[in-house]
Amino acid sequence: MTKQIYSVSNLEKYYQKQHVLHDITFSIDEGEVVVLLGPSGSGKSTLIRTLNGLEPYQSGVLKFKGQEIQPDEKGWRKLRQQIGMVFQSYDLFPNLTVMENILLGPTKVQKQPRDIAQAEAKRLLEVVGLSEYANVYPRQLSGGQKQRIAIIRALALKPELMLFDEVTASLDPEMVRGVLNIISRLAKQDKMTMIVVTHEMNFAKRIADRVLFLENGELLETTAGTQFFENPQTDRAKEFLESMDF
Amino acid sequence: MAHSGIEVLFEGQNFARLIGGLETTIAIAFVALICGLALGLILGVLRTLKNRVLRLVLRLYLEFFRIVPTVVLLFLFYYILPKTAGVNLPANEVAMLVFALWTAAEMSDIVRGALISVPKHQLESGLAIGLNRWQLYRYILIPQAVSLEIPATINLMTRVIKTTSLLLLISVADVINVGQTIVEANSKQYPNSVFWIYGFIFVMYFVIDYPLSWWATRMNRRRLERVND
Amino acid sequence: MKKSWQKVVSGFAIVVVLGLVLTGCGNKSSNSSDNNESTVAKIQKRGTIRIAVFGDLPPYGWVNKAGQRVGYDLTLARQIAKDLKVKIKFVQVNANNRVDALNANKVDLVLANFTVTDERKQVVDFASPYMKVSVGVVSPKNQVINNVKQLQNKNLIVTKGTTAETYFTQDQPKVNLLKFDSKTQQFNALKNNRAAGLADDNSYLYAWVKNNPKYTVGIKSIGPKSYIAPAVKKGNKSLLNWTNNEIKTLTSKGFFEKDYDSQLKPYFGSEVKPSDIILDK
Repeated sequence: MTKQIYSVSNLEKYYQKQHVLHDITFSIDEGEVVVLLGPSGSGKSTLIRTLNGLEPYQSGVLKFKGQEIQPDEKGWRKLRQQIGMVFQSYDLFPNLTVMENILLGPTKVQKQPRDIAQAEAKRLLEVVGLSEYANVYPRQLSGGQKQRIAIIRALALKPELMLFDEVTASLDPEMVRGVLNIISRLAKQDKMTMIVVTHEMNFAKRIADRVLFLENGELLETTAGTQFFENPQTDRAKEFLESMDF
Repeated sequence: MAHSGIEVLFEGQNFARLIGGLETTIAIAFVALICGLALGLILGVLRTLKNRVLRLVLRLYLEFFRIVPTVVLLFLFYYILPKTAGVNLPANEVAMLVFALWTAAEMSDIVRGALISVPKHQLESGLAIGLNRWQLYRYILIPQAVSLEIPATINLMTRVIKTTSLLLLISVADVINVGQTIVEANSKQYPNSVFWIYGFIFVMYFVIDYPLSWWATRMNRRRLERVND
Repeated sequence: MKKSWQKVVSGFAIVVVLGLVLTGCGNKSSNSSDNNESTVAKIQKRGTIRIAVFGDLPPYGWVNKAGQRVGYDLTLARQIAKDLKVKIKFVQVNANNRVDALNANKVDLVLANFTVTDERKQVVDFASPYMKVSVGVVSPKNQVINNVKQLQNKNLIVTKGTTAETYFTQDQPKVNLLKFDSKTQQFNALKNNRAAGLADDNSYLYAWVKNNPKYTVGIKSIGPKSYIAPAVKKGNKSLLNWTNNEIKTLTSKGFFEKDYDSQLKPYFGSEVKPSDIILDK
């Protein structure tokens, strides 16, 4: 039996009077890859940030592994160790080395012994091919390298769900592939449960088990990955796909 | 050689007295800066919290020490408080206290400014790996703020050191006060003593302040280079 | 729960700030303002008298090159401490904070060339005077002004805010005044022959002519006399009475003549007599 990891029911969010998320309901199962698609300003980023407690919301019920989430600082803090997140902006801490960036969560938040955390960090660095950069500062890395480190910084906490918010949007084209390959491998080999916001359509097509299509804060359709790209159910999604480059 | 008057510096105990005055100046500035910078760091962090009452109180504290001229503060703490509040401190302690409180006020603004100029996504990335608020300040915000605020802090230090020249008003025997007594005592014998004594004091302040301001410029340049990397 | 955490922090911050303000680094907060800290009994119990003096006004209160405080006021201060059988602590003041130093309990007694005026009598209590000054007029030796009539319709130099300016403005309207902001400016104007003479406190002029031998104080005293006296905090009867007796005793013993000879004479030169400065027995 598949286990439900995260579920959202009747989520409503306003910025002042603007209605940015409108009655959103969906869930994601263990091992599933959900891709959020939609035009700019459709609410994809707002939604994924809400899932990690970075945006307040007005009503609705969020559940992690069947447990209702208490939307306060303490509740979110506990949850964030189980939900990894990577952002669009390069968000490594410039005052810490690559290794210190990776170890901060495991040692300070999860209180793992330093040697164990360090061994795991080394293994992760090897996986993404950046072993020799352990002791350099982020400013010495390229954008693609920074995003790969940001991914393993999130993975070091051994999360059960990963959230990717347009992680390749700020990268130079030649850097994009390397980062996407890591995410693909995470999905296919490691069966990581993940929610992905992206504009890379080929990538989305390759990894999506399910696509959630949003426009103007409304969830217009929830469709299995392959089917969405070949035969979307709504006209809006059809228009959207036609306007995109593959 | 004609009488330039520079001998006035070395007549009797004059030189030793100037150095003694300088030691007083440095001691007061040093204690005030250590206490003031530490307190200012704490207050600066508190000013970034959401609590409105706390922010208002600290804002008022800053504005009070920023708006009221240092001379008035010294008078207030040295002459007025003993009358109204019954707090009668020796002049040197009043000097350290006033300068520490002033430094703390200015420092709190520098720290607050640096903290809020750390990009928001740094804060969010910290939250996303589960850091609590204290850890966020401890590992992310304060270390990044410190490197942003070093030039402003050093400027503040040079300002504080310079402003110690006001201390003669509350009877502290600082280097300016000693210098003035030497000038007046020797004005008959050495008409140029004003020039030499204040010249010497100028050199002393320069020796203390210039390395600090050089360091500030250098740190600022380094920071810009790093940002442009 | 977030609120309570912030309350704790804000409470802590307020306590820290107030604590710093109220106690400071050393705490002697028990000194109450109304208590008289400067009675003779308290000074003797303390073993030290705190006296406000000038540090930059030779020959009254200044610091010599050996670093010792000397001057006419200082000799008196030491004698007072000796007669009280206590040690002495000098607090250097300037003209503007002599009153505050007394009122804030920073000193017990002021001996800093303190001229008795009606305004000052409102805020401090003056003891018997130990010196007198009045307005004098200095002029070149080759064109001496000996009488105020010689000044009629002529220019006279004064510094703004001095007793001399007040006196000539009110009582000698036929004299043209040239007013300056500082001592340096007024003496330069005299040297440049801008006027027939210059009026200022005579004690000040005596010292100046000593170094400028082409000039003389032709009119030694004109207008009302001013007196220099010790001052205590208003209401400090104990120290006031003691000081009055002390001045009386010292005057009768000829203390001030000796003080004059050792501290002032070297500065004033031979044309000035002790009786121009010190009070009669």
